[in-house]
Amino acid sequence: MTRRGPSRVSSHAHGRSHGRARRDWGLAAALLAPSLSILGVFVLYPLGRAILLGRQRCDPSGDNCRTNGWHQYVDVFRSREFQQAFGVTFRFALMTVPIGLVLGVALAVLVDKQLRGMGAFRTIFSSTVATSVAVASLMWFFLLEPSVGVLADWIGGTAKNPGLLHSEGTALWAVAVSSIWANLGFTFIVVTAGLQGIPADLYESAYVDGASGWMRFSNVTFPMLGPTLLFASVVLTGRAFQSYGEFDLLTGGGPNGSTTSLTYLIYGNNSLIKNDQGLQSASAVLLFIVLLALALLQIRGVEKRVHYGN
Amino acid sequence: MSALRLRITMPALAVCLGLAACGSGQSILQAGNEPPPPTTAAPSTLPGQTTVPTLPPTTLPRPIDSLPGCDVEALDIAAAGGPVEIVFWHGLSNELKRELERITDEYNSSQDRVRVRLEAQGTYEDNIDKYLQSNTDNRPDLVQLPEYAVQLMIDTESSVPVQACMEDAGYAAAELLPAALTAYASESVQWAMPFNVSNPVLYYNRKVFRDAGLDDDKPPLTLAEVSAYGQQIQQTGAASYGISLDSAPDGGGGWFLEQWLAKEGELYSDNDNGRSAPSTRVLFDGPTSVALLTELQQVVTTGGGVYVGENPGGQDHLLKLADATTPAAMTISTSAALGPVLKFVEGGIIPGIGVEDIGIGPMPSPNGAPGALIGGASLWITAGHGDAKAAAAWEFITHLVSAAVQSQWAAATGYVPVNSGALALDPLQSVYADDPRFRVAYDQVAQAPDDPTFAGPVIGPLREVRVTAAAAVGKILSGGDPATALADAAALATDLIASYNATRPSN
Repeated sequence: MTRRGPSRVSSHAHGRSHGRARRDWGLAAALLAPSLSILGVFVLYPLGRAILLGRQRCDPSGDNCRTNGWHQYVDVFRSREFQQAFGVTFRFALMTVPIGLVLGVALAVLVDKQLRGMGAFRTIFSSTVATSVAVASLMWFFLLEPSVGVLADWIGGTAKNPGLLHSEGTALWAVAVSSIWANLGFTFIVVTAGLQGIPADLYESAYVDGASGWMRFSNVTFPMLGPTLLFASVVLTGRAFQSYGEFDLLTGGGPNGSTTSLTYLIYGNNSLIKNDQGLQSASAVLLFIVLLALALLQIRGVEKRVHYGN
Repeated sequence: MSALRLRITMPALAVCLGLAACGSGQSILQAGNEPPPPTTAAPSTLPGQTTVPTLPPTTLPRPIDSLPGCDVEALDIAAAGGPVEIVFWHGLSNELKRELERITDEYNSSQDRVRVRLEAQGTYEDNIDKYLQSNTDNRPDLVQLPEYAVQLMIDTESSVPVQACMEDAGYAAAELLPAALTAYASESVQWAMPFNVSNPVLYYNRKVFRDAGLDDDKPPLTLAEVSAYGQQIQQTGAASYGISLDSAPDGGGGWFLEQWLAKEGELYSDNDNGRSAPSTRVLFDGPTSVALLTELQQVVTTGGGVYVGENPGGQDHLLKLADATTPAAMTISTSAALGPVLKFVEGGIIPGIGVEDIGIGPMPSPNGAPGALIGGASLWITAGHGDAKAAAAWEFITHLVSAAVQSQWAAATGYVPVNSGALALDPLQSVYADDPRFRVAYDQVAQAPDDPTFAGPVIGPLREVRVTAAAAVGKILSGGDPATALADAAALATDLIASYNATRPSN
């Protein structure tokens, strides 16, 4: 009944709404103009230019361009370098997103108790939010540095020679660990907020029904966190695909291209296309399309299984 | 999205994310090209033999009249109405930046003709990117750019060659180091003025040498000696490793390969290293290079050396000397690092080692030939900002490379002075007398023979070519086959050059 309410009202008002819409058009346009012009100048126009530039090959100054057409996008997508970088980025997301979510939820659930001193733990667990990528990366760089790094000496083996960031097999994992660490504060805060939104009476009912701690987590906490986890996973996936600072500062895309992510291929100092704006634009637009598709997939695919409460 | 559409989209995306199905196996450099150009398909299997280049040499030399001119008297006229202000973009930081600021402030307050406004743009790479992306109006009047940007800058057709100013002013370059000048000249034009010069030198731990029974006043000169020293150091237990080697593009992988080929008397790219006409292909996959890198590989496998990786932070090879458990005794690094290294050692980073225990020797090479290529950066005057600004930039350049300023600059930074007159002036005179370690890099420049191989390569995409060469060196030092790694890298590098040349302004 309540769901039908608004539609009935709108069908009643339908006859008048056309006239009013026309009258309000000018005002709406005037009110929208500031944000539209900013959006246009800083987002839509550059995006349009980037899409057009992706069909061209230019000299390093961006002059003397040759327009090759849309098949340049296909060529870039199918090229060895793009495919490899795509694979690296995809694996990086597969490493960072699930582990980051699990750790974030675990930490948030641990401190979601009305006990003295929990505030201190909350502060500690959320502190990485205040750490920039550059600082976090430099810290991990020196922890993992094989000659003078503390972690290198503790772990030994590959960590000492050639070093976790210097071995093709471990470099991506090492970068992923630093990224997971740096993003943990964000996940922790979002999940904590989600936990606080779960009504206490649900837990009370579960408790009365004799549910154990784990059953309360799996049957109450986890489903009620659905929207939060969806949001966090979309944001973390986006971040994983757009990570740049970690790769630039920790590995420079190496060793042997094993950490050349899409962003590093587009922008990195050691990229083969660093002075080819056409190829850079094409790669960037393709990354945009991939991210858009992934976000749609996550939202549309998971939405139905997410419980939004009433 | 309906369930049906989802069912169609998801597998489609999954297939593409599965990658293998979508790959063409082609290089990204070929993207947009109709068929892959056949000229790059058969690259340099026998680089010693010059096959037909993909681009015929242009007319030589490039006439100076065809380039933007320089009228030094324009400054006299303009300065009558007040000082001419010029903007100078540089890529220096920390102590180097502070010293440049000090010199510039002193210059600004010493005269009324020119006011120089310094703008630190970050690194050399930032300088290049910002310069390339700006239009003429937004570019500075003077810009500092690294040695690998020469051809890139020539092709922007945006600068007044310093030669035009030299000729107009009747400037006597007699005191400037010829090798430093040659590094920034091609097609018979002096494009830019060298300012801060550095080159690779050997850093070694004298105490380890003594402990191993080696003469710590005789650092190894050849790669065979590096191996022999490394073996002795390992056998006596003086240190875990002999030399530590890296494969960074601007270090052991790219830049050093250019140095070693010069020391071997080999060209790095065709058309005399791009000096007589733009290069069309690289030559670093020839028998000399294969032999050189095979020997370097042996330094690691049997000569007690250790490979420390691609060295993205530029410190890993040096830090290996400070390793508490498995240290190395030697490494090769830029002479510009000497100041910071001594400062670190003074801070006690290697227990029991003082600043006097750090030895500096010439860069070892296969045959021990003296000399080195010029590294560092040079000064470029921007065209299109009027004669007065160009003349003001030129006047500031002459100040920066004067014997007095170069003496202060080299003494404060450890760079090689580009003006030989600086050696007879304090403070540099006493620095070199007190600490001969700072002189090693200068001697390498002074010893460089006057030969196209020792001018080093000028290639449009030299930085990217370095990345391909560095990847090959990395593979070889990790145990890969030298001939295959070099051939692959050379093919990719030649593709890079072809792709660059396809959009050169003259095409």
